[in-house]
Amino acid sequence: MVSNTFRGGVHPDGHKALSRELPLREFLPTGEMVFPLQQHIGKPAKPIVKKGDPVLAGQCIAEADGLFSANIICSCSGTVKAIEKRRTLTGAMLESVVVDNDGKFTPIEGMDVREDVAGLSGNEILRRIQAAGIIGLGGAGFPTHIKLSPRDPNSIRHIIANGAECEPYLTCNDQLMRTQADAIAEGLELMLKLFPNASCTVAIEKNKPEAIEAMRKAVAGKARMKVKVLEAKYPQGGERSLISVVAGINYPAAKLDQPILPADVGCIVQNVGTVYAIQRAVVYKEPLFSHVFTLSGDAVKQPGNFIVRDGGSFAELLEFAGGLKEGVELKKALAGGPMMGISMPSLDVPIQKMNNGLTLLADDPNERAEEQMTACLRCGRCTTVCPIGLMPQLLADAISAGDLERYEKKLFGLECIQCGSCTYICPAKRPLMQIFKQTKAEIMAQRRARSGGGKA
Amino acid sequence: MNTVLNLSSSPHARDKWTTSFIMRMVLLALLPATVIGIIVNGLNALLVVAVSVASAVVAEYLFDKLCHKPDTYLDGSAMVTGLMLALTLSPDVPVYIPIIGSLFAILVVKCCFGGLGKNFVNPALAARCFLLISFGTTMTRFQVDGISSATPIALLNTGKAVNITSMFLGTANGVIGGSVLALLVGGLFLWGLEIIHGEICFSVLGAFAVVMGLFGGQGFDAKYLAAQLCGGGVVLGAFFMATDYATSPVSKLGQMTYGILIGALGALFRLKGGAADSFSYSVIIGNLFVPLIDMYVVPKPYAYRLLSKRKWDAAYKQPFLKRVPRPVIVLTVITLIAGLALSGVFTMTKDTIDEQKEMAARAAYKVVCPEADTFASTAAIDQALADLNGQVYGSDFGRAYIDEAYAGLDAAGQTVGYVFKVTSADGFDGNITLAVGMNAEGALNGISFTQLNETPGMGMRVDEPAFKGQFEGRSVAKFTLNKAGGSTTDEEIDSVSGASTTSGAVVNAVNAALDFYRSAVKGGM
Repeated sequence: MVSNTFRGGVHPDGHKALSRELPLREFLPTGEMVFPLQQHIGKPAKPIVKKGDPVLAGQCIAEADGLFSANIICSCSGTVKAIEKRRTLTGAMLESVVVDNDGKFTPIEGMDVREDVAGLSGNEILRRIQAAGIIGLGGAGFPTHIKLSPRDPNSIRHIIANGAECEPYLTCNDQLMRTQADAIAEGLELMLKLFPNASCTVAIEKNKPEAIEAMRKAVAGKARMKVKVLEAKYPQGGERSLISVVAGINYPAAKLDQPILPADVGCIVQNVGTVYAIQRAVVYKEPLFSHVFTLSGDAVKQPGNFIVRDGGSFAELLEFAGGLKEGVELKKALAGGPMMGISMPSLDVPIQKMNNGLTLLADDPNERAEEQMTACLRCGRCTTVCPIGLMPQLLADAISAGDLERYEKKLFGLECIQCGSCTYICPAKRPLMQIFKQTKAEIMAQRRARSGGGKA
Repeated sequence: MNTVLNLSSSPHARDKWTTSFIMRMVLLALLPATVIGIIVNGLNALLVVAVSVASAVVAEYLFDKLCHKPDTYLDGSAMVTGLMLALTLSPDVPVYIPIIGSLFAILVVKCCFGGLGKNFVNPALAARCFLLISFGTTMTRFQVDGISSATPIALLNTGKAVNITSMFLGTANGVIGGSVLALLVGGLFLWGLEIIHGEICFSVLGAFAVVMGLFGGQGFDAKYLAAQLCGGGVVLGAFFMATDYATSPVSKLGQMTYGILIGALGALFRLKGGAADSFSYSVIIGNLFVPLIDMYVVPKPYAYRLLSKRKWDAAYKQPFLKRVPRPVIVLTVITLIAGLALSGVFTMTKDTIDEQKEMAARAAYKVVCPEADTFASTAAIDQALADLNGQVYGSDFGRAYIDEAYAGLDAAGQTVGYVFKVTSADGFDGNITLAVGMNAEGALNGISFTQLNETPGMGMRVDEPAFKGQFEGRSVAKFTLNKAGGSTTDEEIDSVSGASTTSGAVVNAVNAALDFYRSAVKGGM
């Protein structure tokens, strides 16, 4: 039997109707633009401009420093105002290039000219992706050219384009697939060139019939491509869930302390937004400085889907869209959706590459959950929903008993992907995933201390 | 826009279900059984339910206040405990019974062990067992239309026919929550909502039915199994007691292990133990195994279930002694030593014990045949006993066995009477063995028990002169049991009130002895 979903998972209220039918609108910010030098995992990029330099839209203003780093691209034309620490969405102050936007958005030369890419070599494709500063737009910020350069490209069997969009409120990838299906299909073809033994699957949750239809049309007649319709369930768009459904492979997070990556089991997962960015970068030489974005939430007057420029502020986007509902006090702002999103202390921070949404809530579910918290009932709902097959309730017991050995070895606590399904479902409103996150950090710190001590 | 917004870790969404919602659903599921219980049993049942629920809530309220804990008394869990306790009680109990039960359940079993989710056994069942031990007679007094009689399970244990329909609907004699139909409706409702785990309730019912079928002596007879499943709180236990979150395992495999353990124990207790309340005890024993099950039955994450053992060992190899936890080794050693010591003592004392038993038997014979100096067998008796070959005696005496029979001889060697050692397997709590003595003319001298393990205050009262004295000096062909009391003829024996099973077993045993006397002794002469 072919399954269309993974084991476990939850069905949070999607709230997609707020914005799913609204077409993508371009948002062009004004005033100063802020480009943090670290928008990816790995080291911050090194700035290659200085104060007073004129810049153009699409120009690289900071170069990757080290393997897991990525280029930073300016999204507007103007002059560099400063290179200084600026507040970012997590509240942290990060070294950033600040550009005074002249409002003209003059692009660098050669962009927007379609190039015939049929004869392009794999290395050239990878070089263009790297130059475009593309990182995974799903949220983790893993540089794409690294992901596409596994040790053995011939071992890759599955390329999965992630159009699941299981996160509540977000609909921008839905709109992107409806409008840019052919471009996404072309991006996939470019990726298939890199992996001779792979076939490609576009995975879409069944609550997006228009996107499914559009993608089916786009891949029709293409030999190594198909669309797979998945059940609408969170975390369907998680890397491991997708690999489980599409390739039928469940793999551990690590073996002998070495993390196992999707490429190690013959899979590569890319968000459809990333695939689109790859197509733009390779075919049009357009680097990554704009992307699709959903503004939604019950505090927003007019939700919508946008094409935003990196570096513009969240606050300005909200104003552009029509602001908050009258009489509503904003309690919570989330970069992303409610399940995986990061809560922001303020909206006056720049939009970064991997931000695909802003969810504004008039009510704080976590505040309410704290009021309703009771002792653990041991109802076992967390065990039922865990997509990895862990037992969150026993994990929490092990933590409160201080038994990290049992947590790690017997209960496999480090396998947790921090999807938050257990916290979501818990009727006692206990912050399960949050303590697993802390414990993982603690265990990792202990390990580092041990190995570090050995070296010193 | 300058104020700092709320910050917290993801996820920023929560399911609608809360603790008190789940508790309300459990209450709702128990409602049909409660309503039918009140309709069938009348206002006293309503009183028991109300008092039980109210005192559970008050107990938790007082504990919260006295211990300065956050208020938890309204989360619904205390109400569930109170209601479950009430459903396991007879509608005829005095009002102090549910009060004491609820206080014990909430204060001792729940709050003292850490409150919600921390109780080590099911509070309602623990309270019921506590009440059974403390107020045995009061707790097991069941009446229908003012006449006390045995519960269907007690009848079933003695091999009698029962009315399955009335058991299923809940109109039979028994506890308030006796309507199997209503409990099934509630239980399946909770299962449908995924509030209770099907792994538990269905493995309890399945294991119970299988063990009953294998060892119940009636095979897999649908009617017999249905009657056993419908009686004695099996359905209430399977759907509402065994599924208690705090005292059931977390993993699916653990839940099935636990369910099978409870179901099998419940059936074995009922068959071999004979106590009508056996199911409560089997659930409680199951509860006690939960920490052990949760400690060792931990399924691997999906990713590891598909790995081969070789790959698994490579990733997570541990030496054997490290994998077997120290307490297991220590406990095994202690158990072995204790077992060896016990069997040693048993072997050394076996002969002495047998001698003592023999002397006790002789003393019992002397009591019921005081004129005899010695007891000797006759050829006719030996032949008759050999013919019986240890089988159940006759067909009219239940499961009665003639163990021994002797002629009593005086100093001159004259026969002055006869003694018969009879065992009935129909006791409420195992076998009853008694010596029946008669004079040379066949009139009864009396009876004396050599083995009697009945319920104190109930079945044990057959050993009081008021009951066993009734047999003395009577010379009849066959006795009959009068459950209502106030007998007038020689043939009738007044039952011990509330212990008709035990009384009936004794009367059957005496009748068997009388019959054996007629056929083997008198007829053989």
